Amino acid sequence: MIQANQYLDAKGLACPMPIVKTKKAMNDLEEGHVLEVQATDKGSIADLAAWSSSVGHQYLGTVEEADVLYHYIRKGTNEPEVEKTFEHTIPLDEIQSQEGLILDVREAAEYSFGHIEGAISIPLGELDSRMTELDKEKEVYVICRTGKRSDLAAQLLAKNGFKKVYNVLPGMTEWDGKIEKEI
Amino acid sequence: MSNKVAIIAANGGLFDAYKVFNIATAAAASDKEVQIFFTFEGLNLIHKQAMHNLEMPEGKEHFAEGFEKANIPSIPELVEMAQELGVTFIACQMTMDVMGLTKEDFVDGIEVGGAVTFLEFSKDAAPTLTF
Repeated sequence: MIQANQYLDAKGLACPMPIVKTKKAMNDLEEGHVLEVQATDKGSIADLAAWSSSVGHQYLGTVEEADVLYHYIRKGTNEPEVEKTFEHTIPLDEIQSQEGLILDVREAAEYSFGHIEGAISIPLGELDSRMTELDKEKEVYVICRTGKRSDLAAQLLAKNGFKKVYNVLPGMTEWDGKIEKEI
Repeated sequence: MSNKVAIIAANGGLFDAYKVFNIATAAAASDKEVQIFFTFEGLNLIHKQAMHNLEMPEGKEHFAEGFEKANIPSIPELVEMAQELGVTFIACQMTMDVMGLTKEDFVDGIEVGGAVTFLEFSKDAAPTLTF
């Protein structure tokens, strides 16, 4: 089961209704959150992917179950380019040779559609309440899609007494190694 | 990249209406600025009464069942949705004069204009489509 922040039932609707409904649902969604669109229109697979890229959202993927298509879209990031401020960083291609934990702070659905083998998932929004699950003395390599969320997560961990935290740059967009899926 | 989609609706059948409004609503839902220029039989598509009874091409009436089965929205529903999404409707003044129609014969919220109105909008639109 893939986790989303909001759900939209577009089952039984024909083109262009799934797109129109998705657009409306996206308006009410918080930036960076994930919408699950349930549809039966087969054309929606190609349409929602194309629509997402055209309006600036991130299409994560689609799962089909019992004739229903479950599409996952993360609300677009038109946020301004912020400077990454966490000083300890590590290039992406060096992390696999390291001891320690790879912490993936993207949304749960993004993680489900593909993450580095062995990485554990705590979305940035949940990190504050869940960091007790992590060992403060161990190396933590924080990764997200492009390095922005991981920068914030790394700062948060360091502020809370984690001693060996690294922001992995650039992020999953450039990862070409093996990935694991949870779908 | 152009953010405008310009559409000419020049035919008045049911199939024509779906081609026009499907593309228009999909484009508007993709944050495009959409304008439709209704001319000649295309005026049927936004005519208060005619839009409820648009005809299928001769010999294709059996598709009615398919429309129902696939749960396709009706044309008046698509018209409303297009307007809700901000699609601009322009009725062609010249054709209205020829057919003896006035603005009140059409759904609310339309504009009336001539060919130049559409040309001005469409000069930097991509794509421009004709149905």
